[in-house]
Amino acid sequence: MIELQNVTFRYREGTAPTINDVSLLIPDGQFVGVTGAAGSGKSTLTHTLNGIVPHCYPGDFYGKVLICGSDTVDTSLTDISRMVGSVCQDVDSQMVSTVVEDEMLFGLENFGVSHDEIDARVDEALAAMGISDLRERTIAGLSGGQRQKVAVAEILALHPAVLVLDEPTAELDPVSSRSVFAQLKEYATQRGTTVVVVEQKIALLGEYADRILVLKNGAILLDGAPSEVLGHADTLLAEGINCPRSTTLVERLRRRGLHEGRAARTVDEAVDVVREVLA
Amino acid sequence: MRGFLEYVPGSSLLHRMNPVTKLACSLLAIFACFLANSLVFLAAVLVVDYVLAARCKLLPQTLGLSKAVASFSLMLAIIALLTTPEGTPIVGLPWGYIGTGSLRAMALVVLRLLACAIPLFLTFYVTKVNDISNALVKVCHVPYRYAFVFTSTVRFIPVFMNDMEGIMEAQTARGVEFDGGLIKRLRLMAPLCVPLLVSSVRKTNSAAIAAEVRGFSLRTRESGHKRYPFAPLDAITFAACVALLVAGVVL
Repeated sequence: MIELQNVTFRYREGTAPTINDVSLLIPDGQFVGVTGAAGSGKSTLTHTLNGIVPHCYPGDFYGKVLICGSDTVDTSLTDISRMVGSVCQDVDSQMVSTVVEDEMLFGLENFGVSHDEIDARVDEALAAMGISDLRERTIAGLSGGQRQKVAVAEILALHPAVLVLDEPTAELDPVSSRSVFAQLKEYATQRGTTVVVVEQKIALLGEYADRILVLKNGAILLDGAPSEVLGHADTLLAEGINCPRSTTLVERLRRRGLHEGRAARTVDEAVDVVREVLA
Repeated sequence: MRGFLEYVPGSSLLHRMNPVTKLACSLLAIFACFLANSLVFLAAVLVVDYVLAARCKLLPQTLGLSKAVASFSLMLAIIALLTTPEGTPIVGLPWGYIGTGSLRAMALVVLRLLACAIPLFLTFYVTKVNDISNALVKVCHVPYRYAFVFTSTVRFIPVFMNDMEGIMEAQTARGVEFDGGLIKRLRLMAPLCVPLLVSSVRKTNSAAIAAEVRGFSLRTRESGHKRYPFAPLDAITFAACVALLVAGVVL
């Protein structure tokens, strides 16, 4: 369980709070997507969840963040990282090794995972990301997308209770992006892992997330189930977020009074609505 | 980008040896080269270096490195040539002369630097840097913090070289001409060190945070998953390098 109580954070060099009076309750196993315009506070929100704020970045921190009942201010960064696995926006800076296998081992070794279990965890995480063949490769020789998959795989291997990912598909093609989200969804539903993912591709969030948060100026603008949030197409557009075309189509049908149901999250749902309207 | 000091996968004998043995042998070879005063000995070490490089399929990289080391050592060699008035005089100088001994001193400088640089560079090319640091922690009981600093330093060399290249390309696209003499290049590159330094500090800070959130401070000597046992080959190689050191001292 993650709980944010009136959290406000202003970077030392900043004039306005980057996160402004945010309160949230995220139950175990929920898949939460966070989106918003650039500078809306998405990354800082993830930093409050993994303890980087306030432990690493100086600034004014107000409110309370509870991760599995532990207050992040009173808990050391190391103890927070036992519960929260993080994937940074800049995956290159996350890498500490020169070879994929060593990169995968780094966290597992540090957290004292049994040596008998380590190989299986590495195999499983690499297979989950579809990069088993990269195990012996040097990181410098990988493409941006491959590095991003390695960054996600190394955190999945740690089996954290909470996964916080900042734009994990920024350098991935559409097929790989869907595959990463499908894996994250599986971790949330089958293992009860709480997943918080910052993502600009709203269609992916609409399809896989249980809940979408839209941030504006460090505050929550919209919070709800994808079908509910995607129903606010105009608000989203005002924030520079383009709804998927399937959602836009169904929204137009709703405005013309041809459909009274909820907004469509996927192409399949839109197809069903169109069939229903045509019938 | 495959870069400087970056591990090249392979299955040669050198690849399979214990990282600690490789590092120790490189250091023994360096000491041997610096203590030796024989041109024949240094030339023989250099030949062995190239044979080892060829066996590891690293001859092109080694020749590239040799070229760079030779260029650097040439400056030192010229100083040695002009400041070692020994042997039969060939050319007179206001402060002495260049003699046959001066030429020998010049050749010694070049051969010595080449012969001692290659083993260390080969060690890095045939060993994953994490294996070096983990083996140092496990076998030599080096604190992990220091080993990690070493690993990060080696890892960041190609990253920073890549960054510098990117900054230079961006400047070239804006009309800066980096072609020309060394002084001109250095003059143009000096201001670029500021953005490079800023991005380096930022990257280093991010890497430190990333390591911390993956349990860096929990690591102990026993944490390393891989084991680094010594094989008979390690003992034989180490003995050979000790013999090389003795030969260097004697010759």
